[in-house]
Amino acid sequence: MTFIVRQIATTADGREIIRSHPFAADEIGIGRSTTNAIHLPDLAVNPDHATIRKRDDGQIIVESTSGQNFTLDGKHRIAVTVDPSAGAELGFGGHVITVSEEGDDVVLTVKRVEALSDSAEIRSESTLYTLKGLLPGKRISAWGFVVLVLAAFLVWPIYSWATWRGVEERPDQFHADTMWSSGALSSAHHALEKDCQACHVDAFVTVKDETCLTCHTGDAHDHAAKPRLLAARGDPEGLEVIGAAFASAFNKPPGRCVECHSEHEGAGAMEPTAQKFCADCHDGMDGRLTDTKLENASDFGIAHPQFRPAVLVSPGGKNPPRTRISLDDKPTENNGLKFPHAMHLSRTGGVAQMGRRLSADYGFGDSLVCKDCHTPDANGVRFEPVDMKEDCSMCHSLAFDEIGGTVRTLRHGEPEMVQADLRAYYRSTGPSRPINLGGMARRRPGAGHEARVASDYARAVRFRPSRANLAIRQVFSPGGACFDCHGVTPPTAAGRVDYGIKPVSQTDRYMHNGWFSHEAHKEESCTSCHNAPASKSADDLLLPGIKTCRECHGGEFQKTADVPSTCAMCHDYHADDGAPWLIREEQKDKQQKPDRQIVRR
Amino acid sequence: MASKAINGQSGRKKVAMHDGFLKHAGYRWLKISAAIMLVCIVSYMFIDVSPRHNGGSWYGYTLGTIGALLILWLTMLGVRKRAMTPGSWSLKAWTSAHIYLGLSLIVIGTLHTGFQLGWNIHTAAYVFMMIVIISGIVGIYFYVTIPKALSDNRDEMTETEMLENLRSLDRQLHEAAQPLSAGHAALVLQSLEQDPFGGGFFRRISGRYPDCATRQAQADLRRERAYQPKMGGDDPLDKVDALLEKKEATLARVRRHLKLKAMLQVWLFVHVPMTFALIAALTAHIISVFFYW
Repeated sequence: MTFIVRQIATTADGREIIRSHPFAADEIGIGRSTTNAIHLPDLAVNPDHATIRKRDDGQIIVESTSGQNFTLDGKHRIAVTVDPSAGAELGFGGHVITVSEEGDDVVLTVKRVEALSDSAEIRSESTLYTLKGLLPGKRISAWGFVVLVLAAFLVWPIYSWATWRGVEERPDQFHADTMWSSGALSSAHHALEKDCQACHVDAFVTVKDETCLTCHTGDAHDHAAKPRLLAARGDPEGLEVIGAAFASAFNKPPGRCVECHSEHEGAGAMEPTAQKFCADCHDGMDGRLTDTKLENASDFGIAHPQFRPAVLVSPGGKNPPRTRISLDDKPTENNGLKFPHAMHLSRTGGVAQMGRRLSADYGFGDSLVCKDCHTPDANGVRFEPVDMKEDCSMCHSLAFDEIGGTVRTLRHGEPEMVQADLRAYYRSTGPSRPINLGGMARRRPGAGHEARVASDYARAVRFRPSRANLAIRQVFSPGGACFDCHGVTPPTAAGRVDYGIKPVSQTDRYMHNGWFSHEAHKEESCTSCHNAPASKSADDLLLPGIKTCRECHGGEFQKTADVPSTCAMCHDYHADDGAPWLIREEQKDKQQKPDRQIVRR
Repeated sequence: MASKAINGQSGRKKVAMHDGFLKHAGYRWLKISAAIMLVCIVSYMFIDVSPRHNGGSWYGYTLGTIGALLILWLTMLGVRKRAMTPGSWSLKAWTSAHIYLGLSLIVIGTLHTGFQLGWNIHTAAYVFMMIVIISGIVGIYFYVTIPKALSDNRDEMTETEMLENLRSLDRQLHEAAQPLSAGHAALVLQSLEQDPFGGGFFRRISGRYPDCATRQAQADLRRERAYQPKMGGDDPLDKVDALLEKKEATLARVRRHLKLKAMLQVWLFVHVPMTFALIAALTAHIISVFFYW
C-alpha cells in the first residue's frame, strides 16, 4: 500500500496537467517546505503543516504537526481519521487534497482552488475602475427620486384635496396640499392658510367670484357692471397677449375678483390699488367705453379732469337735488342763506369791531376767523353744519324781551312761533306809561294836558296788540333779524303777516367719489385753498380747483412734487363713504406705531 | 492643445481638430447663453408686472415655459450621447450647448420665481434645479482639471497594465515568500488577499486607505527586522521587503487613479438622479399650479 500524490496544475489556457508521484512510506508530510511529500506552495500553509499516516486497518490518520488547522469536508479539524474508500476532501490554505482509493493505494489528489492573490482573480475590467457597486446606481436612484417626489408633492396633496372635498372648514392640522401654496396669504385671509379648499374648490377650475362672495357679502360691491368694466379695459395689448392666451387656454375668465386681489403674495395687509391698475381702464377710456360720462384720467399730476362737485340745485328737503358741475364752469350755489364771507372776515368794519367787543366772552381775535363759526366734525375730516345758536347767535342775537334778568329770544327755525311770541309779547305788555299820568308827579297847569295824556295812553293800550303785526313785518323785512340772513317768503295775502323762511341746505361733502380730509391738511391755512375773504356773496362756491391741489400734489411718479399722489390716495375701487384703503392702512399704522415718524404721503 | 489644420490649399476651410466642449465653435453657445441671460435680466427690470414679479404673470409664464422646455431638452443629452454623430449638431456641439444653456437656466429659473421662495413644491423644484446645475458646474470643473492629473498619474500605463502590474507583483511576492516562516508568510498573505479595489466609496474618493494590508505587512516586517543584524547571503525577507515596497508604490498609483476616476464620475451620481427628481418636481409644480388654478 502506497500513497500516490497527484498534483494537478492548470495552465494559462485552462488545461490541466496531472503529475503522479508514488510514496511507499507509512507516513508522509504536508507543508510549504519542499521537504514534504505533499508540497503546497501556499503562504497560508505552514512549512510543515501536517502528516498523513496509514493505519493497519486501511484507514489513514491526518494530524496537524504545526498546531494549525486544516479542514475536513469544510470543517476545521486538528486531527482526523479518514477511510480512503469512503473518500474525503482535506483543505490546506488555498489547496484541496481529495482522498480516494485505487486498489490498495491511497490516492491524494492535490489541486489549487483559490487564486494566489486577490488581484489575480478574474475581474471585469470594464467596471473595475468605476464607482459601480460603491454608490447606489444612477438608474435606481433616479427612479427612486421620481417616485418619492411624485408621491410627496403630487399624489399626497391630491389625496388631501379629494378627502376634504365638500367639508366646510378643514380642521387645524397639516394638510399636504399646503405644500402647493406659493406664499403666505395676506393678513386678512390668514385664517384660511391651512384651508386651501376654502377658495380652491374644484380641481383645475380657477377661484370663482361666488367663492369670495360667500364671506364678502356686504363689502365687495362692483366698481361698475362687469361688461362695462371689460369694455373699459379693452383687449390685451402687446406682450400681455401671452398672459391672456394662458388665461383663456386654461379657463381663466377675465374680470374676476382674484385678478386684482392676487393672493399668496406674502403676509401683511393688501396693497392699495396701484395707479397703473386704475389707468389701465381710465386712461383713454372714452375711446373704448364711448357712452361714459367720466372723463379720462391716468395720473393726478398729468391727466386728471377738473373736479366736478355735486352742487345744490335748490335748497330744502332731506335730499335736495344736486348736479355735478365742473369747477371750470365756475358754478354758484344757492344754499338759502345770505352770508357774505368777505364782510365777516374783514379786519375792519362793524363785524370786526363787534367781534373785538365780544372777544372776552367768546374768544374772538382782532377780527373774525373761520374757526369762530366753522367747527370740524368728530374725526376732523369735514365740518359740522353751521348752527345758528352755536355759531351765529353770539352776534346775531334774537333777543326781544327781558323778564327778571332772563332774556327771551325768538325761536330760530320756527317762523310761526316767532310770530306767536311777538303777538304774545304785545298782548301781555302795555305801552310805557307816561310819567305825568296820575300820581303825585308834578303836572303842568291846566286839565287839558292831563286829559290828552290820559286819552293818548288809553288809545295806546287799546291798540297795543295790533302793534305786533308791525313788529313781525319788521323782523321779516330788510333790516330785520330774519331777513338779514334768510330768504323770506311773503305773506299769503295783502294785510297778512304769515311770512315764511326759505329752506336752507348745507353741504358737508361735495365730492362723493373722491376723498378729502381737512385733518390731513391742517398744516395749511383755510384761505390757502378757500378764497373766503374775497367772497361777497353766499352764492360763491368756495371750493378749490385741481390747480390748487396740484400746487402740492403731483402724480405717482412726479417725485419732485411735494406730495407724489397715487389714485388710491383719494379713490377706492370698492369705494364706500369712508376713507380709501390706503388712508385707512396709514391710520392703522399710526395707531399701531404711535412713536414712528409717519411721513405723510 | 488645439491644433489647427494648416491654412492653405482651399484657404477657406479651417477645421479645429480638437477643441473642447467649452470652446466649441468659438464659444458659440457661451455667446448665445449670455445673450439669453442678458435679455431675461433686462426684460425683467423693464417689464412692469403688478403687483410684483411672480411666476404667475404673463412674463412669469413665458420664463416658466422656456425653462421647462429647456430642462427637458437638456435632459435629452442622456439620450443623445448614446448616438454620436459629427457636424454642427455633433455630440460635442450638443454638449457645449447643454453646458451653456444649462447655465442660463440659473437666470431663467431664478427670474421665474420672482425671488419669491418658501417651503413649498415650487421652491423644491427650484432647489432641485439648482442642485442639478451646481453638480453640473462641479462636473465641468472636474472634466477640465482632472484629465491632466489622470494622465500625469498614469504615466502612460493603461488600466489593464496597472492590474497586470499588481498581479505580477503578487505572484512574485507569493514566490518569494515561500521560504518564510508561518508568521511572516501570514503577513505577506494579508497583502495578497486584500482587494486593491475594495474599501468602499469614501476610501475611493479620498484616496486614503488606513487599513492597507501591504503597508501594514511591510511595516511589521521592518519593525521586526530593524535591530536584527544583517545575516548576509540571500535572506528571502529582503526580497519580500523590496517587493512589498514596489507593490505599495503601484498601489499608490492605482489608488490615485481610482480617486481621480471616481471624481470624474461622482458628480453624475448627483446630476442624473437629481435631474429626474427635478423633472418629477417640475411635473408636480406645473400640475399643482393648474390644479389650484
